[in-house]
Amino acid sequence: MHVAAIVAAVLLAAGAGPGWQAPAPEPITVSAAVSLTDVLQEVAAAYAQNGGGTVRFNFGASNTLARQVVEGAPVDLFISADEAQMDVVAKAGLLDAASRADLLANRLAVVVSPEHRRAFTSLRDLLDPAFKRIAIGDPAAVPAGVYAKQYLERAGIWEQVQSRLVPSASVRAALAAVDAGSADAAVVYRTDTHAAKRAVVAWVAPIWEGPRIIYPAAIVKGRPAAAQARRFLDFLRTATATRIFEKYDFIPVESRPR
Amino acid sequence: MDVWHVTWFSLATAAGATAVALPIGVPLAWLLARARFTGRSLVETIVSLPLVMPPVATGLILLMLFGRRGPLGRALSWVGIDVVFTWKAVVIAMAVMGLPLLVRTARGGFEQVDRRLEQVAATLGAGPARVFLTISLPLAWPTVVAGAVLAFARALGEFGATIMIAGSIPGVTRTLAVAIYSYAETGQDRAAVALLAISTGLAFAALWGANRLAGGSRA
Repeated sequence: MHVAAIVAAVLLAAGAGPGWQAPAPEPITVSAAVSLTDVLQEVAAAYAQNGGGTVRFNFGASNTLARQVVEGAPVDLFISADEAQMDVVAKAGLLDAASRADLLANRLAVVVSPEHRRAFTSLRDLLDPAFKRIAIGDPAAVPAGVYAKQYLERAGIWEQVQSRLVPSASVRAALAAVDAGSADAAVVYRTDTHAAKRAVVAWVAPIWEGPRIIYPAAIVKGRPAAAQARRFLDFLRTATATRIFEKYDFIPVESRPR
Repeated sequence: MDVWHVTWFSLATAAGATAVALPIGVPLAWLLARARFTGRSLVETIVSLPLVMPPVATGLILLMLFGRRGPLGRALSWVGIDVVFTWKAVVIAMAVMGLPLLVRTARGGFEQVDRRLEQVAATLGAGPARVFLTISLPLAWPTVVAGAVLAFARALGEFGATIMIAGSIPGVTRTLAVAIYSYAETGQDRAAVALLAISTGLAFAALWGANRLAGGSRA
């Protein structure tokens, strides 16, 4: 009886296999920062419409994605939320170095709960004691947190606000904390503010003032689908893709081979 | 993405993981309950480790083992099997996380089997394998099934190890737990809540079933 159950379960699992396998032609796998989820899915749809082929996305925290590539996960193209994680893969010798380029830029924004709705005149307005809890991505691990810390330091208020900071597991968790009313303010990406339910934007970091936030992209070395990955990477720089990126407030960066 | 597709995929991989865990976990549970051998507590501890370790750490170990540069991953890619980022990775992560629950529960069942019955069978000439299959397993059956259901439920909820070794590829490796996370992260609350309801329902049913089975064996 138990043998029958095992056999049934194995058959079930095996049956699940082919159903989830890729249709021909072989799609490429793109590991991309979770903050790019919505925009890249729209870009990929446009790519497919233009006869580009299928793109499979693996969305996650950039440090996890980098780790997976380093351990030999089958990834064709990596789009990181920061240069540090791209460097991790580069250091392991797994990147097609010539393909690495800055793809997008982003800006930081401060969102506040509706009760504290106001327009900041500078980041220093965060010092208002009304903001008892300020959520940011964990500066030890989350790129958005690293940027937030840099920005607060540069504005000279890191020391003052430090005791009020709530480090979150991701930048979206920081935003959700304000939406849920468990934090009074959060430092997030400007692009995240589209997903806000209750939080309102109080401040967008001017380009000259905020940290340089770059999403680099690079092709992973030694993969069979390198040519298809190249095509998709090129498509990300077309006018079609640029329009979609801008719709989501990402700033497309001029192609600058390194 | 289709909610039912994710649900069906999670059920199938969790069933597969339980199927992988059973032939390893049940004999192991019996050995831990009955046999005295050196390294017994060591085996016991290693099997239980995934229960207390951060799942992401377990996932990292699995990724290092099954990645193309890892010892198992390299061997498997020689025979043309890729694990990382496929449904097989999901099954492995789920099986490893479910195994301790199966072993610990089934072990309790084997310990409750009247030892004299096993001894009688042994004195009548049955070898250990035959004693296991004809006496211990049939008597401990409800607890073994309860352990399997618990392992299945744990597999359904698995997140940390899955996201490390299988990633979050929609339609390929995305399970209920991983989909809930990514929907929540991208602000798609409706989809997240729908999956949450399904996931809670399945976990409830599995736990209820396991409790009834385990309770029935004691009564």
